[in-house]
Amino acid sequence: MNLLKISLANLKEKKLNSFLSALLLTLGIGMISLLLLLNKQLDEQFRKNIKGIDMVVGAKGSPLQLILSSIYQIDAPTGNVPLAEVNALRRNPFVKTVIPLSMGDNFQGFRIVGTTPKYIEHFGAKLAQGQVYNASLEVTIGNKVARMTNLKVGDQFSSAHGLDQAGEKHGEKKYKVTGIFSPNGSVVDQLILTRLSSVWDIHEHAEEHSKGSSEKSHEEHHKPLPGQAEPEPDEENKQVTSALVQFRNPMGLLTIPRQINDNTSMQAALPSIEISRLFSLLGVGIETLRALAMIIIGIAGVSVFVSLYNSLKERKYEMALMLSMGATRTRLFLMLLIEGLLLAVVGYFAGILLSRVGLSLFSSAAEQDFHYSLKGFGLLKEEVFLFFGALFIGAVAAALPSLGIYRLNISRTLAEE
Amino acid sequence: MISSRNLRFSYSPQKKFSFPDIQCGNKETLLILGQSGRGKTTLLHLLALLLKPESGEVRIADKSSNALSQEELTSLRARNIGIIYQRPHFVSALSVLDNLLLPNFLVNQKQDKVKAVQLAEQLGFTEHLSKKTHQLSQGEQQRVSIARSLMNNPNVILADEPTSNLDDVNCQKVIQLLKAQSASIGASLVVVTHDQRLKDEFSNQVIL
Repeated sequence: MNLLKISLANLKEKKLNSFLSALLLTLGIGMISLLLLLNKQLDEQFRKNIKGIDMVVGAKGSPLQLILSSIYQIDAPTGNVPLAEVNALRRNPFVKTVIPLSMGDNFQGFRIVGTTPKYIEHFGAKLAQGQVYNASLEVTIGNKVARMTNLKVGDQFSSAHGLDQAGEKHGEKKYKVTGIFSPNGSVVDQLILTRLSSVWDIHEHAEEHSKGSSEKSHEEHHKPLPGQAEPEPDEENKQVTSALVQFRNPMGLLTIPRQINDNTSMQAALPSIEISRLFSLLGVGIETLRALAMIIIGIAGVSVFVSLYNSLKERKYEMALMLSMGATRTRLFLMLLIEGLLLAVVGYFAGILLSRVGLSLFSSAAEQDFHYSLKGFGLLKEEVFLFFGALFIGAVAAALPSLGIYRLNISRTLAEE
Repeated sequence: MISSRNLRFSYSPQKKFSFPDIQCGNKETLLILGQSGRGKTTLLHLLALLLKPESGEVRIADKSSNALSQEELTSLRARNIGIIYQRPHFVSALSVLDNLLLPNFLVNQKQDKVKAVQLAEQLGFTEHLSKKTHQLSQGEQQRVSIARSLMNNPNVILADEPTSNLDDVNCQKVIQLLKAQSASIGASLVVVTHDQRLKDEFSNQVIL
């Protein structure tokens, strides 16, 4: 027998009280831990994909929407802009790279994005199998796309119009998979990448079909594709959805966005500003939840306090008995303290477990809706602090009522009953 | 062996007690008889060193308790005195066996399971060792508390109304067990009671 055993026995004796205290702690710790995890995951996902992109240009509309659709591929695009205007940006001395993007089709919910090889370079995607697309209608797919759709190198598929699976099928022309990227944790994992010209080809063909036969587009269709020879296509009368821009130096940030907004049909959106804005919007909700979690932890502390206070009142005689049998008051105080600490430890680990369950639920929901998955179930640094916080609350909540041990009158307590 | 001289105690100026001297050697027994309100429990607590007398002295195993500090008193009591209370009380969360081992644990001695089982056999509650104490009858509980008082091989056994809640059969049983057990370890047995049934069982008597 030892103190721990007596403490455990006491907790088991009051199962419901102990359960309630531990449950409250579990909920509080679980909520805080889940918030920490989500915050970290979102932050990581957002910051990782934003890296190296100083500005996004696209059709006028909501700048946040432009950022979300062009960088994270989670919102609808704002519209189209002429490729000529995008390419004009290259001539600006402050601009380092311009990566045009063209989207509008999907395969089983995964977006098909027409772009230049710079895009692959930018996100540091490496090939796992096959090779990077070379000709029009050839695609290289992200690792998650390959996993979810079971597409393999050499497979052919027809895309659907729009950004969800319900879109009209482009049945006439088929894409061909030439390569699969290895997973790299960026947005590329969930994309099907192809040449800009592929997207044009698919849609010209479709238009041609619906309009009957348009001579002009027919002609264009048979022209040799300039993009094939040149890595960065420059075609008149063509449109793209948006472009990711990197500046040579921060001076670009001061002048270019205003120029674009004032003098072109496009708008310029700065990812860092828009994402900060998004986070400050989310922040209110996160702060509220965090406050709620703190309150729950506070109530858990009060619950530990009340249940130990009550049980101490009931066990007054037991305490006097143990004191008469040679127990020191400090030893009994320690015994009660251990009860509080045990509850805190149980609540903490159950809470950490709960937050992981919550994260995996959240992750599967996010995966379904946005093809983003949240990983990282490891213990965060903040959670280690949370452990000591929980211990502190358990200790204080147990210590306050247990101080009564030092005032207990052995003789009177034993004589009273 | 236990003895007292000139013990006085007062709860308030109106409620004062002065007690006759008592003396009980090793292997001897002593009955202290008194009606309620005569300070029986107070005397027992003084003898058990749970209360400090206003004046007078308690000697246990030839050691005067007067000069001792609180810790020394606690240690002297825990090692030399086994106390049996009127109503048997236990640590309710623990099993009968663990309650028996508790006195060993609290004075940091080896937890003598063999002795606990032996006592249970002698007092007839072996089958209850793994139960919780509240599952036992009053008579059984009283026998467990007798066993508990013997766990540290005390020099003195003090019993406060050990039989008042028991019927005649159990009363006889308990008192015989107490006498036999204290004799077997050579301890002094002091019983404080108002129970007239015990009058004929003890040759040494003090009336309060």
